[in-house]
Order: sequence, then structure tokens, then C-alpha cells
Amino acid sequence: MHGRHEVLDWAEEGRIPPGDLRRALEVAGALPDAPAWRQFLDRLLLFAGTLLLAAGVIFFLAFNWNELGRMAKFALVEVLFVAALVAVWRIGIERVAGKAALLGAALFTGALFALIGQTYQTGADTFELFAAWAAAVLPWALVARFPSLWLFWLLLANLAASLYVGTMRSTLWVFSGSERQLWLVFGLNTVALFVWESLALSGIEWLRERWSTRVVAVASGGFATALAVTDIVSRHAGGGLAAWAAWMVAAYLLYRHRVKDLFVLAGGVLSVVVVVSTVVIRHFFRVDAGAFLVVGLLVIGISAAGGWWLKSVAAEEAK
Amino acid sequence: MSTAETWGRLRQAGLVQGEVPQRDGVRSPWFVRVMLGIAGWFGALFLLLFVGMGMSFIIKNAAAALVVGIVACAVAGALFRKVPENDFAGQFGLAVSMAGQVLILFGIGDAIGKNIAPVALAMAVVQALLFWLLPSYVHRVWAAWSGACALAIALADMGFLAFTPALVLVAFAWVWLKEFDHAKQGSLVRAGGYGLALAAVVIAVMQGDLSIAWILDRPKAPIGGVAGVWIGAALTAATLLWAVVQLLAREDVPLESARGKIALVGAIILAVATLKAPGIGPAVALLVIGFANGNKVLAGLGLITMLGYLSHYYYSLQITLLEKSAVLVCTGIALLAARVALQRYWPEQKEGASHA
Repeated sequence: MHGRHEVLDWAEEGRIPPGDLRRALEVAGALPDAPAWRQFLDRLLLFAGTLLLAAGVIFFLAFNWNELGRMAKFALVEVLFVAALVAVWRIGIERVAGKAALLGAALFTGALFALIGQTYQTGADTFELFAAWAAAVLPWALVARFPSLWLFWLLLANLAASLYVGTMRSTLWVFSGSERQLWLVFGLNTVALFVWESLALSGIEWLRERWSTRVVAVASGGFATALAVTDIVSRHAGGGLAAWAAWMVAAYLLYRHRVKDLFVLAGGVLSVVVVVSTVVIRHFFRVDAGAFLVVGLLVIGISAAGGWWLKSVAAEEAK
Repeated sequence: MSTAETWGRLRQAGLVQGEVPQRDGVRSPWFVRVMLGIAGWFGALFLLLFVGMGMSFIIKNAAAALVVGIVACAVAGALFRKVPENDFAGQFGLAVSMAGQVLILFGIGDAIGKNIAPVALAMAVVQALLFWLLPSYVHRVWAAWSGACALAIALADMGFLAFTPALVLVAFAWVWLKEFDHAKQGSLVRAGGYGLALAAVVIAVMQGDLSIAWILDRPKAPIGGVAGVWIGAALTAATLLWAVVQLLAREDVPLESARGKIALVGAIILAVATLKAPGIGPAVALLVIGFANGNKVLAGLGLITMLGYLSHYYYSLQITLLEKSAVLVCTGIALLAARVALQRYWPEQKEGASHA
């Protein structure tokens, strides 16, 4: 859908008669027509149905209902799992219903692993559940060409990674506590972002949906910011600040010049606001009122300058 | 499609005249405004700490807090009006006004006393006034959100907690369904609409479990008891149905047609689920109304809210996991069945491929 903002602006400026706004939006193609509505309803019913059904099954297993024997529970999950895979096979992975069925199969896989752990008390750590789940879903993600499934896979990998650090405290002694978790998830999401953007730039069409890349960029940049803040607050040079600076430079070069994504740049501005005010508070700070005023004005100044810069970049790109 | 092409289409349809208007400024994308809003709030916190530590007499004295708060909001209003294009003045005004509102809250709280409902009601009125008087888009989103939340807190404290989700959802749906009827005040309507959308996320989807219980500390016995809770949920469900019926009327789709029936059946399934999973209806309303108005940001918010609600639902304590799982499984199967009906009675037309 296009032209929504322009038409709304023109209407507000009085260039379009007030009673004609809706028609103008229709003419501009900014409102959904009958085929678009059909597609929307189709996907809403399909994905909401799949998601609620799968979530319901997971909730059911989590309840651990004693009235139902273990064999019946296994049968239930396995039947659903096989049914989802049969649906993928019959419908085909290229069609949207096939993708939804695959998403359902991916969710049932996790339910099955959780049920195994719950029933046999294997002594496995929680991270192993998520790692096994991620490993099982990986081949499907590789063939499905479906960004949502990749995001789901990345979520599983993130959970496995952060739980792993929690478990393996003694073996990964180089970093301390939550900082190790941060480094691991930062590394994971940054590699994912790098690979994703490289493949998208090399011309893989289905990876070019910006919203999914933005989710990964928010995770990667968010963890970079958290690393920098941890470094500043704990007053030790763990490399977090350097990693953040490198991330910011790389993101600027990539998103200002190659990919041109203002969303990530706006996130970068917010990250600068957070990091700079943390530095000021930590290093130049005696607890007095004046310092708070300085930090407050600094936050306002940096964000306003950032807003102004982003607007001028937007203007440049609009030309 | 470029701006010139859009203009050309409108001119061809006889909706506009003359050449493409040249724009002097560029609108900030929604995420830049979100960034500014977050940073503004962050800045306001530090300004408040400055006032709290450097001029603590202001916070300790109700009248002083009120006066300084009102002056701060007036300064912000003057900045928004005098230099609307200046980014620095805008951001400074936002932070100063937010800090001023907290001072007004201190002042009102001191003056009225410990009762939550009157203080929250007074704050709702203050936010409504600021919404009208302070012409800044980001500030209006904030004022609409915080005003709606203040009103919900007041109602909850008076025992109407169960009815607040339906109320905020009706307000949200009504504003967005009327979006195109107020062409000249579009920015104002949309700022209010986004504020109400965020309020619906907090109050109707997440059910304010965290915030309201934390603020109220001791929620009063709800009016109507268990029946009241059911009536509240039924009103939320009815709001979803009402919004869908309104949309069908707007799109000229008769209720008796195959399309109308399928849309209505889908809405009824989700409305029934809303009775036991109260966040589903509001999240779907955000998604559907966003799509209907061609607003991707609103639709995206609905989608994220839906996913967030499912994990919130897992932990909410009203019913057992077994009951929740039954609700979700039945709803899921019913929705998939409705999709089969859609494929059967509203087949895809290959030649009329959507341009959307």
C-alpha cells in the first residue's frame, strides 16, 4: 500500500476536499481492496489458528495432567507432529499454508523434546532442550525460505546460549556472570545480522523483508549497548565499550550508505544517548543537582540532534 | 509509486487540481518519533531529579509543585507554538512538560490526599487539557496514553476494573474508525489514536496486571463480583464484533454475503475466545483496524501484541493451564476450520491480483 502519508498530508492542508479523503486513499492504493482483504483474512485465520493450536498443545503438556498416561501424551504430540509434516509435504513448502504447517511442526518438535525431558527425567539441562530444538528446526529453516522461521530459530539459539552460560559457569571462566551471557548473545545476534544482511545484499529476495532484519538488528545493537553500559558501570575495560564503538561504526557505514535503513540509525541514536549519559553519570558525577541538570540537557540535546540528522537523511533519501 | 504518480492518479480522478505541491519539510518516520519520545522521557527523569535535589522545597510544597508544574507545561506549550519546526525546542519542550506533569501529580496528590481515584481523575483531566493545548505530535501521543491510563486507574480504584479493557478498546476503535472523517485534524486524531492504541495494549491486552495492581496496592472489591468480570469480558468481546460490523459496513460488504459471513464467523470465534483469554480480542482489533486503514504501524503493533499476549497468558493466574490449553486448542481449530470455509466460499481470483 502506498501514498498513505502523502494523501493524509494533502487532506490536512486542504488540497483534498474533506469528504473525499477515503476515496482519495482508495485511488492512491493506500487502502486494501477486496483481494488484499481476502489475503489478509486468509493469513490471519491460518497463522492465528496454527499458533493458538500449537500454543494450546504446549500449555497442555506443561500442565502435566496426571489423568492422561504418558503413552497417550506421546501419541498426541507425535500424531500432531506427523500431521503437520504430512501437511507440509502435501501442500508444498512454497505455499503459505505449507509454511504455516512447518511452523506448527517446529513448535510441536519443542513440545516433543519437552515431553521426553518431563517423562524420563533425563537429567538434561534446560539449555540442551533449546539447543536440541534449534538443531532440529535448522534443516527446515534452511529449506523453507521463510523469515519468521529463521527468527524463531534465532530465538531458540539465544535461549540455548544464555542458559548454557548459566550452566557452564566453571568452564567459561574468562568472563564473569551475566557479562558472559551478554557477550555470547551479542556475538550470536551480530553474526546472524551480518550473515542475513550479506545474503540479502547478494540478491536473495526473500531475505529482503526489512522488518525481520530490523528485529535482528535491534537484538544485536541492544546487546552491544548493554555491553558498553556494563563496562562503564563496572569501570573495567572488558572490551565492551570497544565492541559497541565498532558496532556503531559498522552500523553507520552499512545503514547510512549501503542498505539505507533509517530504523537502525534511529536505534543507534538512542544507543548513543544511553551510552553517553552513562559515561557522564559514572565519570563526572558527584551526587548534586547540577549534574542531573547537565545529564538531562545532554540527553535532550543528543536526541534532538539525532532527530534532526535522521530527518535530513530521510529528506536526502526522498529525493 | 512516487509522490508525483500518486498526485497524478488523484488528479485523474478529479480529487485534486494543479501541480504537485512542493514540500518544504520532511515528516519524521514513526520510529524516529518513538526514539524522540523515549529519549524525552529519559531527559525528563533527569530534570525531575534536578528539581528534586536542587529545589526540594518545590516537591515538598503542594502549591509550589503545582505552580512550577503548570509553568513548565506552559513553557513547553509556548515552545511548541512559537518554534514548531525547531527540533531542539521540541525535544526540550517534551522533556520539560513531562517533568512538569510529574510535579502537577505531586501537587494534586499533596492537595487531595491519599485517595487514588480523585488524584487519578484529576490527572486524566490534566492530560486531556494538555492533549488539546500542546500542539506536538509526540507529546499528544504521550498525553493520550497517560490520560487514558490515569482514567483506567481511577475507574479501577472505584471498583470498575473489569470494565476498563472494554472502555479503552471502544475509545481506540472509535477514533480509528473515524480517522478519515476528520481530514483537517488528521494529525491530532492519529496522535490520540496511537496513544489509545498503546493504552489498549497496557489495559486491555496485558490487563494492567503489573501496573494497576502495583499502583493500587489493594484493588477494591470489583463491582458486580464474578458476574462483573464476565460482563467486562463480554463487553470487550462485543467491542471486537462491533468494530468488525462497522468495518464491513464501511467496505459495503453485506452481512448476508459469503464474505460478510466469513468475516463475522472469524470475529465470533475470536470474541468467544476473548471471554476466557481476554487479550485476544483487543490484539486482533488492533491488527484488523490497522490493516483496514492501511496503517502498517498499527497492524504491526497488533501482531507484536498478539505474540506478547500468548506468553503473558501462560503466566496469568486466573485459570489453570489445562483450561487455557482447551481455550487455545479449540480456538485454533475453529480458526483453521474458518479458513477452510474461506477457501471454499471466497475462492482466490487469479486475474484480480492485489496491488496492495
